[in-house]
Amino acid sequence: MTEAFDDKRLDELVDLIVKLASGNLTARLAPSEARDSVDAVITGINLLAEELDLMYKTLEHRVAERTADLDQARRDMERLALNDALTGLANRSLLADRIGQAIVRSERGERPPCVLLLDLDEFKTINDGLGHSAGDGVLVEVARRLSSVVRNTDTVARLGGDEFAILMPGTSEEDALRIAHRALAELQKPFSVGDRAVWAGASIGVCFGQRGQTADLLLRDADTAMYAAKARGRGNVQVFRAEMHYAAQERLQVGSELGFAIAQGQLRLHYQPIVALATGKIMAVEALVRWMHPERGLLLPADFIPVAEDSGHIVELGHWVLHTAIRQLSDWADTMPDPFQVHINLAPVEVRWPGLTEFVSAALEQHAVGPDRLAVEVSETGLMIGDIAGLETLRTLRQLGVGIEIDDFGTGYSSISYLRRLPIDTVKIDQSLISEFASDSEQITFVGAVLRLIEALGLRTVAEGIETATQMEQLLALGCLYGQGTFFGEPVPAAEMTRLLQARPIPASSS
Amino acid sequence: MSIPPADNRYESLTIDDEGFLRLLWPVGAQITGPSAQEAFDEVNRICAGARRPMLVDMATTKSVAREARAVFGRPSAASRIALLGKSPVDRVIANFTLGVSQVPCPTRFFTDRAKAMAFLREGPHDRSV
Repeated sequence: MTEAFDDKRLDELVDLIVKLASGNLTARLAPSEARDSVDAVITGINLLAEELDLMYKTLEHRVAERTADLDQARRDMERLALNDALTGLANRSLLADRIGQAIVRSERGERPPCVLLLDLDEFKTINDGLGHSAGDGVLVEVARRLSSVVRNTDTVARLGGDEFAILMPGTSEEDALRIAHRALAELQKPFSVGDRAVWAGASIGVCFGQRGQTADLLLRDADTAMYAAKARGRGNVQVFRAEMHYAAQERLQVGSELGFAIAQGQLRLHYQPIVALATGKIMAVEALVRWMHPERGLLLPADFIPVAEDSGHIVELGHWVLHTAIRQLSDWADTMPDPFQVHINLAPVEVRWPGLTEFVSAALEQHAVGPDRLAVEVSETGLMIGDIAGLETLRTLRQLGVGIEIDDFGTGYSSISYLRRLPIDTVKIDQSLISEFASDSEQITFVGAVLRLIEALGLRTVAEGIETATQMEQLLALGCLYGQGTFFGEPVPAAEMTRLLQARPIPASSS
Repeated sequence: MSIPPADNRYESLTIDDEGFLRLLWPVGAQITGPSAQEAFDEVNRICAGARRPMLVDMATTKSVAREARAVFGRPSAASRIALLGKSPVDRVIANFTLGVSQVPCPTRFFTDRAKAMAFLREGPHDRSV
């Protein structure tokens, strides 16, 4: 035994175990030529160390693999949590985070950030009319165009639906506005959907941050400015001003009161004459809704129609208008000339409502009014070729005998050939086309050509926005047969229109 | 497959009178993965589709690498394997081979050649080859 304990291999074995215990699993000890039991122990420990080393390496490899998997999963989750899945842009969370970072930097001396909030003007029309995949395609293209106009330091985000934002950290007002207008110009270009071109347009609100402002406030104020841009006729850029808040609060108030107003009979229809330019005879009236607000007085459509469209009250409001106008036609049965029509404005969402024709038909029958006494006006930008539901509703209305008119022609991007494909009988050219008659003789020539083309399609033309006798005479000379505007009379309540119908003709025509 | 160094290669592989395979490693051989694979490829080749018991003389083997032990764990033409050694070191090496791999045929370690042969004879094999 003593001899065995004197064996120096045992000391070497102890050293080996110490090395292994310290974590050096590659340590080995060569057995001697004796190949006795001590060598067997040495061999066994060598083999156990080899197994242990391999197990450690395998384990480390697996841990590295799992860690890489977890890192990838975390990055995927972050991407999903911080980016918009459709466009790949930053989402609201990431934008808010970056605004917060920019605000922190501004507190250290950098210029405060600027936020642009963009909302597409006609997205709902595209999405509802041409389908969601068309809408998605437009959103992806919007993302691409916006990304092309910003600087490397800016963040483009999609906040949801058709709402986008651009964060410009440490920017000058001049640079921010330049980018805002470039973005607007990019979004006013047509978008390709299949083989057709559509226009989305955009309204842009700009808010320059101030030191100490939060991301939420900056976004809210940019949103307020964007709504101000919508209210100013869309397709423009507005910089936030404090007084815009009052308008925003009022808009919220209007939205909440509108449903009540319809039920409580606070709405009125006023009627504006549409006359034969040659004779001054009233051929039709356009019904325009007014809100007799108990506190704010008379509100015009611009004050509440956009809110009604956003809040979903527009269909209910449209039904009220249709029903009231048809009942008025019944009341005018003994007064109105022949031919005579009441023109009603239809919002795009109403046109796509599948029960519209039945509703109109029932109301006409209820009040014993002939369908040819009614005409509906649909704005040029509110209806698109390819909007199958909308076009089908117009076709069935026309089959019923109701007149169909394209409104505001000349404000959108439609071509004359576009009119050929619509089930319409009348085109109302926008007042912007004739407002420059006095200063631009070429405009007269241009409008004359437009009128001839419309006539060539077998359609009637109504010119709106006629304010002077000169404009009326110029239009008459160009061959326009019908007109509407303050020159012939403001929209008036039904009772006053009744008197005008009895006293026709009304305009002070110089002819 | 890379060719193992000469002193790590098996010394001989023969079929004895009983039709058993006999694999002999040289004194001080360090059996590596490639050298084990080379030996087993030769086993499969000379058996030509038949299965035979095999005596592996591994006495005086210096070491058997883990990769070599894995080769012993793969199916081959050997129907039974007797590992023959003589020292406690051989026993440890042999039992690591048996313990690490799920051996595909009955495999045992012996220090007695007669007992090893008796073990091989217990199993069926194709004597016609």
